[in-house]
Amino acid sequence: MDKKPVLKIRGLTKKYGDVVGVKDLDLDVYLGEIMGFLGPNGAGKTTTIRCCLDLLQKTDGEVKIFGLDSHENAIEIRKRTGYLPGDFGMYDDLKVKTILNYLLSQSGVSDKTKMHELSDRLELDIGRRYGNLSKGNKQKVGIVQAFMADQDLIIMDEPTSGLDPLMQKKCYELFREERDNGKTIFMSSHILAEVEEVCDRVAIIRNARLQVVEKIDSLKDKMGKKLEIEFENDVDPKLFTMEGVEDFNLDGRHATMIVTSNLDEVIKRISKQNVMNMSFETFSLDQLFMTYYTSGGKGR
Amino acid sequence: MNIGKTMLMELKNSWKGLTLFLIIVILLIAGFVQAHPSIREGFEEDKLDGEDNVEVKVREDGEVTVDLSWTYWAEDKEVDDYTVLVGYSPSMIVPLNREDGIETTTFSYGLERDDEGKIPELYFAVIANIGEDRELVGMETSFERRDSLMEIWGVDMRDIRGMISMLWDMWWVLLIGLYLGYISVNSVSKDFEERRMDVIFSTPISKRQYLLEKFTALALYMLFLLTVSGLIMVAAVGSLGELNSVSSTALFLSSVLSWPIFLVIIAFSILGAVYLEDSRKAIGFSFLIILVQYGINVVAGMAEGLEYLGSYTIISYWDHEAILFDEVHSVGNFVFILFLAVLIILGAILIFEKKDIPV
Repeated sequence: MDKKPVLKIRGLTKKYGDVVGVKDLDLDVYLGEIMGFLGPNGAGKTTTIRCCLDLLQKTDGEVKIFGLDSHENAIEIRKRTGYLPGDFGMYDDLKVKTILNYLLSQSGVSDKTKMHELSDRLELDIGRRYGNLSKGNKQKVGIVQAFMADQDLIIMDEPTSGLDPLMQKKCYELFREERDNGKTIFMSSHILAEVEEVCDRVAIIRNARLQVVEKIDSLKDKMGKKLEIEFENDVDPKLFTMEGVEDFNLDGRHATMIVTSNLDEVIKRISKQNVMNMSFETFSLDQLFMTYYTSGGKGR
Repeated sequence: MNIGKTMLMELKNSWKGLTLFLIIVILLIAGFVQAHPSIREGFEEDKLDGEDNVEVKVREDGEVTVDLSWTYWAEDKEVDDYTVLVGYSPSMIVPLNREDGIETTTFSYGLERDDEGKIPELYFAVIANIGEDRELVGMETSFERRDSLMEIWGVDMRDIRGMISMLWDMWWVLLIGLYLGYISVNSVSKDFEERRMDVIFSTPISKRQYLLEKFTALALYMLFLLTVSGLIMVAAVGSLGELNSVSSTALFLSSVLSWPIFLVIIAFSILGAVYLEDSRKAIGFSFLIILVQYGINVVAGMAEGLEYLGSYTIISYWDHEAILFDEVHSVGNFVFILFLAVLIILGAILIFEKKDIPV
């Protein structure tokens, strides 16, 4: 992967009066990757995305897309950026085709081939009035409009919300194909499986602050493994005070700990005791995310 | 280039409402003009009983004297005498004098000027006394009577120009202004409330271009509506055979030259929508301005000594009476109001550019 940031955020802060939407956020999204943006409701995902597109005026910090300032060069940026808002509406009385044609022409694109291809692929009838569509079909309209102008960067806020699992799979395929064709995708999501399946990297935000940015695989490694041991005799807790062991907890002869490194040394120390029972659990991605959601990854 | 796309989208999205309103306006104009003959007749019937039989002349030679003369065709009846009743209104009748009954009679009545030095406006009634019978010969006034609308609005409804002037005064700004305020607010507020803003501003359109295109779409619609209204007006007046009393150019321009007034309404309605971000509040703001402007204009037109208030309203800068009666219109007023509209819409752009787009 080319390590060229398409989207570069430094010290982004957005306040709504006294309420902090995002605080000191630094993030890079590189060319040709799919970056997932995760966090609980109200964490600051949508605020970050909308600041990037200059829909919100940032309080402080810098956002550069394609090396251009997000505020000063908003129009230039939007020419090269597709966007799917999390909560959007269109003109209820107009046909989907009319709406898509309008948005496409606004982006200065006259070729409608991709619009039709995407509509066919997502089984969207563009001859229908927008107001008559189901929630899922409206979401498809959003996805088609985000990709149809064949722009370099696609930003999506919960893109598969309201879609059935089969259609979600189709969308994942689409996202991967677009990435493989050189597009960069920055998407927020609530669906952990979606992030695991589609994203190359993930950024987790909580309470307006970025918690972690990591490749999905290395995140798992970084998060460590949960060890649960039943000793035959009392053990000295100091035995496990060492680098790579976190959250050690001893309840009688029952001990739990998170091992993030030094696994070999931990096993050697355990082996010097009489062990009655032992379980060894690798965190699922869900559990990893939940730990960040609830405690910022500090209190597993 | 993507210029004009948002404008076309606005017209596409609201064409049903705009067309319906155009039809209502056309019907209103055509109906109003077609009603002129019966309205004129109604005003002509408003004459005093027997006013053709009585003549009043006011003479001023040091003192003020009213000379009354009347003719009464008694046919085979013999008039004993006449009673002349004088009062400040027909309901305030006071017996004054009796004269011998002859068919043609004159009577002089001395008047005193009031505190302001004006000649009192008096009603006179002449009654023929024939035996036990009393017959009204006729009534007349010492002043030139005008109909009540003439008193209030200063227009003569018996004249087609007066009636059209009444239409412009009473209905035009209220009916069209309020509707225009409503659709202007909604053209922006609905994009907020129906969550279209994020999608619109994901395309390379600036907030300035967005507002200017909304403004232009509505401005062009208004120009079309006023042009059609002007043409309908000319056709309707022509169908009554009244084009000899007013030129078709004056009729047409009296409609079209109200355009800048409506541009100002569009502009401050859009400003309200952008600033308040809530359609109900913005519509309230827009209606309030229109109604206050209208109210001030009415008061300025009716209340003596308050005429100067009219110059504080945008409506007064569209002098339809001067166009209809004198075929003149101030280019300065036209340009001033146009400039005001541009200034307000630039203010709206300035506010919008500094605001977040709400979710």
